[in-house]
Amino acid sequence: MAEQTGIHKISAIRKTYIVYQLIADVLFAAAFSIVIITIVNYSLHIALLWAVPVFMASLLVFVFIYKTWAISNTSIANFLNRQYPQLEESSTLTLKPAAELNLLETLQLQKVEAELQEIPLPHKAFFKRIKLALLLLAIALAVSWLAGSVSKQVHYTDGKRLSAEKTAVPEKILPQISAVNVHVAPPLYTGKATRQQDKFILNVEDGATVTWHITTNIAVKQIFLLFNDKEVIKLKNTDNTQWQVNKVISKPGFYQVNVDGKLSDLYQVQVITDQPPVVRIKTPKQYTYIDAGEAQKININTAINDDYGVSSALIFATVAKGSGEAVKFKEYKLNFSSSFVGHHPQYDLQKLINLPDLKMEPGDELYFYVQATDTHQQQSRTDVYTVTIQDTAQLLSMDGMLTGVNQKPEFFRSERQIIVDTEHLLKDKDSISVEQFNNRSNDLGIDQKLLRLRYGKFLGEESESDINPADDKNDPVGDIKNYGNAAVVLDKYTDKHDNAEDAQFFDPELKKQLKATLTEMWKAELQLRLYKPQNALPFEYKALRLLKDLQQKSRVYVAKTAYNPPALKMEKRLSGDLSKIDQPLFKQDIKPGTDQFENLKKAVIVLEQLKTRGQINDADKHVLALASQQLSLKASAQPGAYLPALSAMRRILSNQKGVNVTDVALVEKAIQKTLINAIKTPAAGVAPTDLGLSRDYYKNLKTVN
Amino acid sequence: MNWNSIVMIVCILLAAFAVWKEYARVNKSRLVLRMIAALLAVLALACVALPLTYQRDIVKQDKNEVILLTQGYNTDSLKQYATVKTFTLDEKIKKENAKAVLLSSLDQIVADSTVTRLRILGDGLDKEELQQLNGLPIVFYPASVKQGITAAAWAQKLKAGEPLTIQGNFKNASAKKVKLVLKGLSTGLDSVMSNADGDNPFQLTTIPKNTGKNVFNLLAIVGTDTIEKEDLPVQIEPVKLLKVLMLTASPDFESRFLKNWLSQSGYAVAVRSAISKDKFNKEFINLDQFPIDHLSQATLAKFDVLIGDLAVLKTLNGGEASALQQEVTQKGLGIIIKGDTTTHSTSWLQRDFPTDRLALKEPLPVPLLLQGELAKTDKFNAGLVYIKSGGNTQSLVTDERAHVFAATALAGSGKLVFTPLNNTFSWMLNGDKNDYTNLWSLLIGKAARRLPVTENWNTLSAIPTMSKPLQLLLQNAVAPLNVKINDVSIASAQHSLLPFEWEVNYWPGAAGWQSVQQAGGLVNWFYVYKDNEWSGIRAANRQLDTRNYIETNHLNSLVTKQIHEKATIAVSKIYFYVLLLIACVFLWVEAKFL
Repeated sequence: MAEQTGIHKISAIRKTYIVYQLIADVLFAAAFSIVIITIVNYSLHIALLWAVPVFMASLLVFVFIYKTWAISNTSIANFLNRQYPQLEESSTLTLKPAAELNLLETLQLQKVEAELQEIPLPHKAFFKRIKLALLLLAIALAVSWLAGSVSKQVHYTDGKRLSAEKTAVPEKILPQISAVNVHVAPPLYTGKATRQQDKFILNVEDGATVTWHITTNIAVKQIFLLFNDKEVIKLKNTDNTQWQVNKVISKPGFYQVNVDGKLSDLYQVQVITDQPPVVRIKTPKQYTYIDAGEAQKININTAINDDYGVSSALIFATVAKGSGEAVKFKEYKLNFSSSFVGHHPQYDLQKLINLPDLKMEPGDELYFYVQATDTHQQQSRTDVYTVTIQDTAQLLSMDGMLTGVNQKPEFFRSERQIIVDTEHLLKDKDSISVEQFNNRSNDLGIDQKLLRLRYGKFLGEESESDINPADDKNDPVGDIKNYGNAAVVLDKYTDKHDNAEDAQFFDPELKKQLKATLTEMWKAELQLRLYKPQNALPFEYKALRLLKDLQQKSRVYVAKTAYNPPALKMEKRLSGDLSKIDQPLFKQDIKPGTDQFENLKKAVIVLEQLKTRGQINDADKHVLALASQQLSLKASAQPGAYLPALSAMRRILSNQKGVNVTDVALVEKAIQKTLINAIKTPAAGVAPTDLGLSRDYYKNLKTVN
Repeated sequence: MNWNSIVMIVCILLAAFAVWKEYARVNKSRLVLRMIAALLAVLALACVALPLTYQRDIVKQDKNEVILLTQGYNTDSLKQYATVKTFTLDEKIKKENAKAVLLSSLDQIVADSTVTRLRILGDGLDKEELQQLNGLPIVFYPASVKQGITAAAWAQKLKAGEPLTIQGNFKNASAKKVKLVLKGLSTGLDSVMSNADGDNPFQLTTIPKNTGKNVFNLLAIVGTDTIEKEDLPVQIEPVKLLKVLMLTASPDFESRFLKNWLSQSGYAVAVRSAISKDKFNKEFINLDQFPIDHLSQATLAKFDVLIGDLAVLKTLNGGEASALQQEVTQKGLGIIIKGDTTTHSTSWLQRDFPTDRLALKEPLPVPLLLQGELAKTDKFNAGLVYIKSGGNTQSLVTDERAHVFAATALAGSGKLVFTPLNNTFSWMLNGDKNDYTNLWSLLIGKAARRLPVTENWNTLSAIPTMSKPLQLLLQNAVAPLNVKINDVSIASAQHSLLPFEWEVNYWPGAAGWQSVQQAGGLVNWFYVYKDNEWSGIRAANRQLDTRNYIETNHLNSLVTKQIHEKATIAVSKIYFYVLLLIACVFLWVEAKFL
């Protein structure tokens, strides 16, 4: 019995082990199949029921990989030996047949048997795989949940797309037509290849050649295409079932197929028109002013876009020389350096223009615009841009200063002197020593500073002598005689606003410009002191230009005018003889034109009745047919918006059995869209039909009062 | 000879015979007793044969109450009246509730004298039905309308270009927001979201593009479900063109633009602008030429509106001035007076409209508010002069600070409109045609002489439906000949007090537009709704009518509670059988044993 209990215990442990491993296999399989199904469902949108066979298959795979049932009692016994020291490496003895046991083994067996009974059935190592499997399962579930929420959104958008497609009415084809093949050859300018479609609805480029190949399932006599209810195109047949014709499409509208007198549904024709190229100049700005001393170059940076392709782009430049009546123009056509052979839809172009190359001198102006042509020979051009080179001769001229009205003090002119001196210094640069050059430059800087200080006074700036009062020997405050004389101290330190000499009589705008002038002078002085008269020149010119502007501004004034009308003689007023003067008389008849929407408005009443009655009589048909003509005109102009309504109207007119309410709604919507807003006009109220009762009431009320 | 007399004669003969037999009997003992017994037996026999009744006082409320089920009743509230007799007039309710007895008319309840009180469950009865109750006391505790449109009002007749405005109330019982949509020609034109839970007053508006008979729809939508769809019938008539006379002190832009706008819209315009002393520039557009140098009453009678500068109107000579005043006060001509800087005058044209100047140096551009328009106009330099409010005037144009820039007052049967605005053309110059047309449509519309009409049709029933009779009111000077509704002749009845009103009762046979026409008159249209439309409003109306009925019959029901009514009760025959038996037994026992 002893042996048996030992064997039983070990096989019980083995069974427990196998059960735990199988549970782990199931969990692994579940995790694996969840991941697989999530991925497949996400990419291929298959049903979730596929999870079941996938799970079964993966379970089989896992079970057969591990083959946990193949574990022997010996392995278990060995495992127990390793895990439990109290078994003293002897648990295998229980597996040995009793007959083969020697004495020692028998004794040991008895001891081990007792120990074996104490060992618990599951060992914690058994749970290892289960734990791992649970973890994997949790991860798999999390992944599938995440993927599910993502795919839900994808599904949602899918649904939207589907519903949008659903609203497009499916094309109805005449039963005689077994197949249709429409070749669309887009025009050359698009650069697109010929394409085919098996639908009648056309959405083609402007000028595309469309060829219809219609195959009928029975022999028919003739097939027409009816465009916009007017134009008839006959199809040519190769045999009685093969028909074809081609047509260049340049107008939107609709058409019908007429097979032996039977008309098809209305098919929409939409035309994609070519847009002219779009030209945008990034640099320079619309008005560019090149100051003296700046590089006389402009860089034209342009972006050109077109929906199909750009074939060429040119700069049209005009140079204006001289002024007043002596102005002369010269035109140039400048190419961009890049080639347009590729007819790409987009180009970024650059062109550097050296203005002296165009024989431009100071004072001249350059006007230019960029013109682009697309492959459909449509042109578009930019606004005119202007580049002006500053005229230094004008600036330095003495013309303005010789006129009598100039009221400005002497020192306003010395900026010009500084410029002349600077230019002279630059000319002499090669013939004099560096030291001399630097000295003269520095002297010019000092001149510039003095000029700046004198201008600063106008703005109420402190003069340099104020910086250190101790240097001033003539300071009355420092004089001992004036000790205690409050008037002298006050005189020095108070800001005397009411003093006419100091009062700042410039308006803020003028002050701003003066400040800007001072800033330019500062910069010029800096460059001069750094012995860089070349760099100082632009600042000097700018300062001079600002000063000139100031001068011009100060000259603006309006002359006073005085007019004293002679006194009116009241007795003579309106006393002239007017007997021979005719009275003007004007007679006109403006009759408002007939209401162009009369037919549609009548149709509305009929449609309203149809909603409840559902049957259509001949009088109604006549009214609706007139409205239908008007809608057909609309549909040929805007097939996208009006074609569904027109076909609905045709259905209403042709249907004998009854009228579909949705068709009525479609037509009504189109009519509402077509009708123009009513304009309010004055309207009188209605008098009561009361045998004059209210009038009598008012009359009597008056007598009572 | 009826049953009673036959029985009496036979019984008297029988009694005489019995008495004689008793008298003729040998054994004379207990003769009196036997004679009495015989007479009693005959009497009892007679009473058995005769239908004997007696009158008794009963208390009315003790008698039985019955229940009438009407639309909108609650099945749960019916449970507590399980034993009470239940009636209904509605086949649908009969189908839902098999216990209820379907009545063809309320007369059947009223005729039953045992019914003393009627308990009405649901929304109640119509006026016509309540009339049939003949003062029968009723008990009525209606549930308020839970969800739906409980009120709605809109103008059923419009002029072209006028906005259609629907105002009403939507009662929302659910926690979801409800979208109310105004639809015309299957196109959504205006919409509003109602709050969840509670009463939601709403207003929807659109300018109809169409003319003629139109049916707009009012939809209540929850999510994607339409819970209510109601018809809004509207007749849009073309505007009748008016004749306008303009008198100006000098040719100016204001009158020039006004003239151009009116004449291009097809109106007849005559303009007289002074260019010198007694010299006028005259223009006749869409109008035959005639002398307007001097205004006579005959000249003025040709026009509907006179638009004139105050300076011109005040300086009219005596004859002209009195002709104008006569025409306005007696014949209803309207005047639009364009004021100037004079603030006060005693002239009848300016008396009602004292003006004042704004305390500003420069007039600022301000948006104006026009009567009947919700939106403000574009900013506009209205000038410094404004009309002081007060007096018997109605202000038409105001700015945001309630300065009045146009007002109207009655002058006899005519109307005066006064406005100091004199540069409205600047709107036109700015391309703002809308504000310009709105302002002048308002002013001219207010002033214009009222159009004389010979007949006027009105529907008295608020929401006429197929299942109810409807009343039409015709205002007409003479008795209408042959009124036809949908080509069926209908009789009309004259109002007992107002001789120009005629009433026509009609039971519509179909929903939709119905034509009505009197001989020699124009075709008029009225709309009949389907039975399921405007159920909320109709339920509310029925509740109101039923409550009114209770109010008016309140006294009646109180009195009947106290008065004991006489009731005829048949005497049970069993007493007489017993009496006959006793009498016969006495006679038999006396003869046998005594």
